[in-house]
Amino acid sequence: MEIKGSVALVTGGGNGIGEAVVKHLAKHGAKVAVVDMVQKNIDRVVKDIKEMGGEAVGIQANVTSEADTARYIKGTIEAFGQLNIAVSCAGIIRDGMMLTLDKETGKVSRKLGLDKWQAVLDTNLTGTFLTMRDAAEAMVNGGWEGLLVPISSVNKIGQVGQINYSSAKVADALMPKIIVGEFLMRGIRNIRCVAIAPGYTATPMLTGMNQEALKAILEDVHLGRLVAPEEIASLIGHCIENQALNATTIEITGGLCYPKGIAK
Amino acid sequence: MQNIFYNDMQFSVKPRGERWDITYSLPNGSSAIAGAGLFAGLPESEAGARALALIKTIFPVGIKTVGPDVTHPNTIGDLKIIGPDVTHPNFIYWNKDSVSCPREL
Ligand SMILES: NC(=O)c1ccc[n+]([C@@H]2O[C@H](COP(=O)([O-])OP(=O)(O)OC[C@H]3O[C@@H](n4cnc5c(N)ncnc54)[C@H](O)[C@@H]3O)[C@@H](O)[C@H]2O)c1
Repeated sequence: MEIKGSVALVTGGGNGIGEAVVKHLAKHGAKVAVVDMVQKNIDRVVKDIKEMGGEAVGIQANVTSEADTARYIKGTIEAFGQLNIAVSCAGIIRDGMMLTLDKETGKVSRKLGLDKWQAVLDTNLTGTFLTMRDAAEAMVNGGWEGLLVPISSVNKIGQVGQINYSSAKVADALMPKIIVGEFLMRGIRNIRCVAIAPGYTATPMLTGMNQEALKAILEDVHLGRLVAPEEIASLIGHCIENQALNATTIEITGGLCYPKGIAK
Repeated sequence: MQNIFYNDMQFSVKPRGERWDITYSLPNGSSAIAGAGLFAGLPESEAGARALALIKTIFPVGIKTVGPDVTHPNTIGDLKIIGPDVTHPNFIYWNKDSVSCPREL
């Protein structure tokens, strides 16, 4: 599929990786729908795309809501007449150990709250499911060529302190296998699905973190720096153009290793 | 150029080359872009109709209960009756009472 002339919807398009993806696709001639929860970020990104001479529509929505999902799919089609690419970048972290022990008694002093579990599952897993499901529905009914892109994470392998996040991201990483398998069974041949699992990426979330902690993270990255959001955007651009990429999850980490050099 | 007043919000549909931009006014007096470079080649009337349909999808009308509205009680003598506090779904920009739906009873 060519990027030029296609229509892409990117959730979480108001910041970080999602912003880089919408800008990359707009720069290469796609029409883009910027979906995010934060209106002022949507306004900024849509303004930037307009200044680049691109075509964009901004839709404020919460990806965890089924009604909102239907609304931004409909809005995208009303603006551009079709939908070809759906990238699910909206995501959050609410880190914490499942159990915290009291240093003196050795007994459990705190448990990871259900609020932290549920918020991450709702946004990172249910939100991705709703976007993929409804985008696929529109692509099937419209008969348009399509690509679904769930965003997973390298921490799908199981990161301590992230039982909520890793559980959601491993499920996101499985989606391409299931979705494409089901498409094959249903005779749906016009839509592919490729998930992307980034490593530590230079979004405001990470660049603003404690610089000592960041330095420690980078010691385990073969590339010696954070992945740039634009590098993820360009990989998604390649996935759009390369039809043979399908039913898989691609990691882009810069060579993230466990301490002592075993690649994750 | 077309102006559309919808859901207490002011939108403008402006031509840019053969395409159309939809802007809207923010409460602070500045404007934001709802859509850029849309409806290529359509005449003004059709672009206006398409823009209105799109605006209605992007900014739905409705109300949202956010809690008891303690600042606007209905009073019967000394008795204060506090109803639910409702707001538009575009509540992010809602910093004053609606002109078309004032809260004062
Ligand atoms: N930054 C990293 O190092 C990294 C690494 C691996 C995976 N990821 C994943 O990539 C994706 C993007 O991450 P990022 O670093 O760009 O994050 P970010 O915080 O910079 O951007 C996420 C965007 O999603 C939006 N969002 C959050 N919840 C939403 C909701 N319910 N509805 C609509 N929008 C919502 C936010 O407003 C924000 O604009 C996430 O899924 C994240 O888990 C990030």
